[in-house]
Amino acid sequence: MTAIIKTTGLTKKYGDQTAVDNLNMTVKQGQIYGFLGQNGAGKTTTIRMLLGLIRPTHGSIEIFGEHLYAKQREILRRVGSIVEFSGFYENLTARENLLINASLMGVHSKNAIEEALEIVGLQDEPSKMVGKFSLGMKQRLGIARAILHHPELLILDEPTNGLDPIGIKEIRNLIKALAEERKITILVSSHILSEVEQLADHIGIIHLGKLLEEISFAELRQRNRKFLEFQVTNDNRAAMLLEQHFAITDYEVHDEGIIRVYSHIGQQGKINKMLVDHQIEVTRIALSEDRLEDYFIQMIGGGKIG
Amino acid sequence: MFMISLIGAAAAPIMVFIGYLDYMAKNPGKPVLFSDVWSDTNLYVTLLIGTLLYGVITAYLFIREYTEDTMKNLLTIPVSRIGLIASKLVLLFFWIMILTFVSWGLILILGLLAQYEGLSVGVILQSLKEFVIGGSLLFLLSTPTMFVAFLFKNYVPTIIFTAVITMGNVAIANRDYKAVFPWSAVHVIAENSYVAAYPPFYSYVAIAAATVIGFVATIVYFKKMDIH
Repeated sequence: MTAIIKTTGLTKKYGDQTAVDNLNMTVKQGQIYGFLGQNGAGKTTTIRMLLGLIRPTHGSIEIFGEHLYAKQREILRRVGSIVEFSGFYENLTARENLLINASLMGVHSKNAIEEALEIVGLQDEPSKMVGKFSLGMKQRLGIARAILHHPELLILDEPTNGLDPIGIKEIRNLIKALAEERKITILVSSHILSEVEQLADHIGIIHLGKLLEEISFAELRQRNRKFLEFQVTNDNRAAMLLEQHFAITDYEVHDEGIIRVYSHIGQQGKINKMLVDHQIEVTRIALSEDRLEDYFIQMIGGGKIG
Repeated sequence: MFMISLIGAAAAPIMVFIGYLDYMAKNPGKPVLFSDVWSDTNLYVTLLIGTLLYGVITAYLFIREYTEDTMKNLLTIPVSRIGLIASKLVLLFFWIMILTFVSWGLILILGLLAQYEGLSVGVILQSLKEFVIGGSLLFLLSTPTMFVAFLFKNYVPTIIFTAVITMGNVAIANRDYKAVFPWSAVHVIAENSYVAAYPPFYSYVAIAAATVIGFVATIVYFKKMDIH
C-alpha cells in the first residue's frame, strides 16, 4: 500500500521544550489511522505541522509522495481537515460559510454544498446563524467543510471534542461511512481510547512527543494475550495457592481482589475448585483479553489517561 | 461593523457642522464657505478620527480571523499567507475610500441644507482631491497597524497603538515636526500645508518608510508565524 503521509525525524521545539520528538509516522492509503495520546502528548502539534500551520524545527513531511513545503498548495487542495474546534463566521449561516470555502477551494458545483450538508445532517438549518449552533452542530459543519471538495485525505484532530455520547456516535459513524464509501484515507487523533478502538484500523501511540508504536488492530489483537480473571475474597492467599498447586507464576494481582492468570487457559474449573477447597470465595470468573487501554497504559508506562 | 464605521465616518462632518452652526449663530450674515468647511473636516479626519477609525477597522479585518478561529481553516484550504494579506488590504482600501466619501458627501449635504456658499466645480474637485489623497495615504499607513494586529492578535494593543498615533498627531499639529511624523504628514500633503523647515520630500519619505517597514515586517512575521 502506498504511504499517503510519511514523516521522517519530525521534530518541533519551543525553546527548551520539545513538543514533537523525531517522529517517524506512516499512514498508508485507505487506512483509518488513530493517532492516540494523552492531552499534551504532541498530537495537535504534529497535525498542525502536517497541515503547514506550524513549521517543524527538523525533519520532513511527505504527503501523497511529495514534500509538503515544496508543493504545499497542491497537496492541501487534496486534503480536508478539522483542527481542534472548528471556527466559522458566526454572523453567517452554514450554507454561507460553506459557500465561502467552496469559492476559495474552486468548488463550483451547486450540489456540493447541499450534498455536504446532507451527509452531516445539517440540511434542515438553512437560515440559522452558525453563532446559534450547538458544539455538535459546529463539529458536523466542520466535517462538511472538510469533505466539501472531495479530498483524498482527511486529517481530523479530536473531531469529537466536547460532544455528548450521541454526538460522538454520530461523528464516528460518519467517519466510518466516509472511509467506506469514498475510500478516503483518514488520520484521526484522539485522547479517548474507546473512540480510537471503535474507529481506527491502525493506531500510532504518541507520548511526550515521541511516537512509541504504530500497529494495526489485527496485529494488536494477535499480540494481546488472553487471560483468566478471578475475583476472590483473599487475593494474597489465592496468589500463593496458585503458585503452590499449579506452579502458576505468570499472573497479575489488580485492585478489588482481581487476579489475572495468563497461563493455564481452559483450566479455570480446576483452579476454581482448588480455591474454593481452600476457603477462598470466588465471586467472578471470566476469560478475557488485554484491551487497548491496558496496552496503552503499558506503552506509556502508567500515569494518567486523558 | 460596516454600519458602525459609517457612524464613525459621520462624526467629523457632524462635529464640524455643529461648530459652524455655532459660528453662524454668533456671526449672522457672514458667509461660510464650502472650501473652509471641507478643509476643517479633512483636518479632523486625517489627524483625529480617521486615524483612529481606520486603525480600528484594520484591527478588525486582521484580528477577526484569530478571534473567530478561522485563520487555520483559511490557511489549510489553502489560501496563501501573502494572498490573505493582499485580499484584506484590497478590502481595507475600498472600505477607507467609502468612509472618506461618506465624510466628504455629508459636508456637501449638510452644507446645502445650511446654505454654505462658494460651491463650484473647482471647489468640489479640489476638496475631493484632498480627501482622496488623505484617505489613500492613511490606507498606506495602515501597514504598521496591521503588523501590530498580527503581533498581538488582540484588539486592545492595536487600538492603543492607533490612539497613541492620534495623540501624537494632536501634540505636533502646530509644530514643524508634523511634516516628518508620518501620520500628521498625511494632512500636510493632502492640504498642501508644507513647512519651510521640512520640504515635501521629507513628508513623502516618512510616509513611504512607515508603509514599507510596516508591510515588510508583517509579511516576514506572518510567513514565519506558527498558527496555534
